[in-house]
Amino acid sequence: MSAWKEFSKGFYKQNPVFKQALGLCPTLAVSSSVKNGLGMGLAATFVLICSNALISLIRKSVPNRIRIPIYIVVIATFVTIVDLSMAGFVPDLHKSLGIFVPLIVVNCIILGRAEAFAGKNNVGLAFLDGVGMGLGFTLALCLIGSIREIVGSGSLLGIPVLSASYEPVLMMILPPGAFLTIGFVLGFFNWIENRKKAN
Amino acid sequence: MKEVAKLGFVLTLVTVLAAAGLAMVYSITKPRIDAQGAMETESALIEALPQIDPASIEAVRDGDEIRYYRALDSDSQYLAFAYIANGSGYSSVIKTMVGVDKDGTLIGLKVLSQTETPGLGTKVEEIKYGEADPWFLRQFLGKKADGVAVKADGGEIVSITGATISSRALTKSVANGYTSLLKRLEADSAMASTSAEPDGSE
Amino acid sequence: MEFQNLMIIALGAIFINNFIFSRFLGICPYIGVSKQLDSAIGMGMAVVFVMTLASAVTWLVDHYLLSPLPINVFYRLLTLQQPPDLVFLRTIAFILVIAALVQFVEMVVQKISPSLYNALGIYLPLITTNCAILGVAILNVDTQYSFIESIVHGFSAGVGFTLALILMAGIRERLELAEIPKSLQGIPIAFIMAGLMAMAFLGFSGLKIGM
Repeated sequence: MSAWKEFSKGFYKQNPVFKQALGLCPTLAVSSSVKNGLGMGLAATFVLICSNALISLIRKSVPNRIRIPIYIVVIATFVTIVDLSMAGFVPDLHKSLGIFVPLIVVNCIILGRAEAFAGKNNVGLAFLDGVGMGLGFTLALCLIGSIREIVGSGSLLGIPVLSASYEPVLMMILPPGAFLTIGFVLGFFNWIENRKKAN
Repeated sequence: MKEVAKLGFVLTLVTVLAAAGLAMVYSITKPRIDAQGAMETESALIEALPQIDPASIEAVRDGDEIRYYRALDSDSQYLAFAYIANGSGYSSVIKTMVGVDKDGTLIGLKVLSQTETPGLGTKVEEIKYGEADPWFLRQFLGKKADGVAVKADGGEIVSITGATISSRALTKSVANGYTSLLKRLEADSAMASTSAEPDGSE
Repeated sequence: MEFQNLMIIALGAIFINNFIFSRFLGICPYIGVSKQLDSAIGMGMAVVFVMTLASAVTWLVDHYLLSPLPINVFYRLLTLQQPPDLVFLRTIAFILVIAALVQFVEMVVQKISPSLYNALGIYLPLITTNCAILGVAILNVDTQYSFIESIVHGFSAGVGFTLALILMAGIRERLELAEIPKSLQGIPIAFIMAGLMAMAFLGFSGLKIGM
């Protein structure tokens, strides 16, 4: 039961983007289309799962005073693996994500999970936590990506979904659209919470 | 002090282990990453010079720098050339691989890199859903490379709505690139006086 | 000519490719410390300082330790046959250098100027995980800036970041008095305002400086 809880909390209850306002830089930068959002989300999920699992494995032998530098080295290693692999196997995606691939290192979600969860729990739970949080992050990126792509280019995953007479709102795929979309989506989730509380 | 030395040792050990692991990953991925770059140029050449046997295309170099590409037929007659055109657009340099036949008629174009405004300038390489090639570049095909210009400059190329700067930059770079290609060809044929004179230089 | 080039880099980093409004780097501190003008200025100064230093140090690390260039220190000292290609260690090396640098700056500032430490001190530890710092280091290397260009880019990116922070703090202080729908209070309205500001900054992207 608790395993399921650790896995599923990242989707909504503790969603890193919507509920904890973490990892906002990549969320804003690469969500101009679903494809980019999905690629970024999965890359970060991979790093999160690996770093969570490894940090949980070595948590007892890590001296407390230097745990943060060690976590950073572990995370940076997995990020570089992802970076190199993406450059080799999916060069187009790697290009469009640009510097945000190496910047997964400083994504607060990953160090946050290492510090708050993986350093204190066993491997199984840390793994599930990583999968759940990673997928929650991916979900958030895809949601924002699809809103921006549908309104801003009239398509979803590159396939037109609105009639040809629809004039795309360009602003949505430009930087301002990223800020506005996140602002309103966060507001929407607050609104739901407020209604829940009121009932 | 002993404590600090121990911590320093642990941290160094972790870093060295990480570096060793990465060196292994790097040695596996590096050939692929390098091949990726070469493949990109190759596929751009195939798009810029369609209907020409990719095996007959060769790069003409000046040291490490590639000056242009040329394709020769079996009698070492020039069939076509390709060059890279750089145009300073709205927010980036638009780099295009341009293919011309021996008469200077455009036969293929492929945008290599640009970071223009998404949704406006990026349309220079937009492929509409269900189509095979970018609609903006299609209007270049069959036109003479030296005379190509956007309508505002008295030419025939229709600019992209909302992206006149990007459209003009790309169009101008195609024409300018052709002029410098001719100069280079002339210089080369002067050096190697026996080889066939490219018709395009006349 | 050289000076003009540096001016282009500086203006580009402050206005056209503003770290917050166009590159989306350093959003977390942007939302976190832009509630008051005082803290915005403190954070901004700390970022300018560390970014400039980090640009210089990471450039040196990249060129003398990691890149396969003839000036590589390992190549020179160990008389290797050819310069080693260690670029795959860039991410790890940069983040460790930045973390160490921030620690070092904190110690030095504390010793030399306690008053400055009081002003910047609480912001310094936050900076290690500020993606703007690592971002500027990677951008310097990716765009192949020279040493001087890197420093100018780092400094002006920091100035652009500070500008965004101060603008935002100024608006948010006034916003305290405004009536905002309950659901949008706090972070959502900060983002919506950032969006409006980004629209204004978008106007700079058409600037052709010296081109």
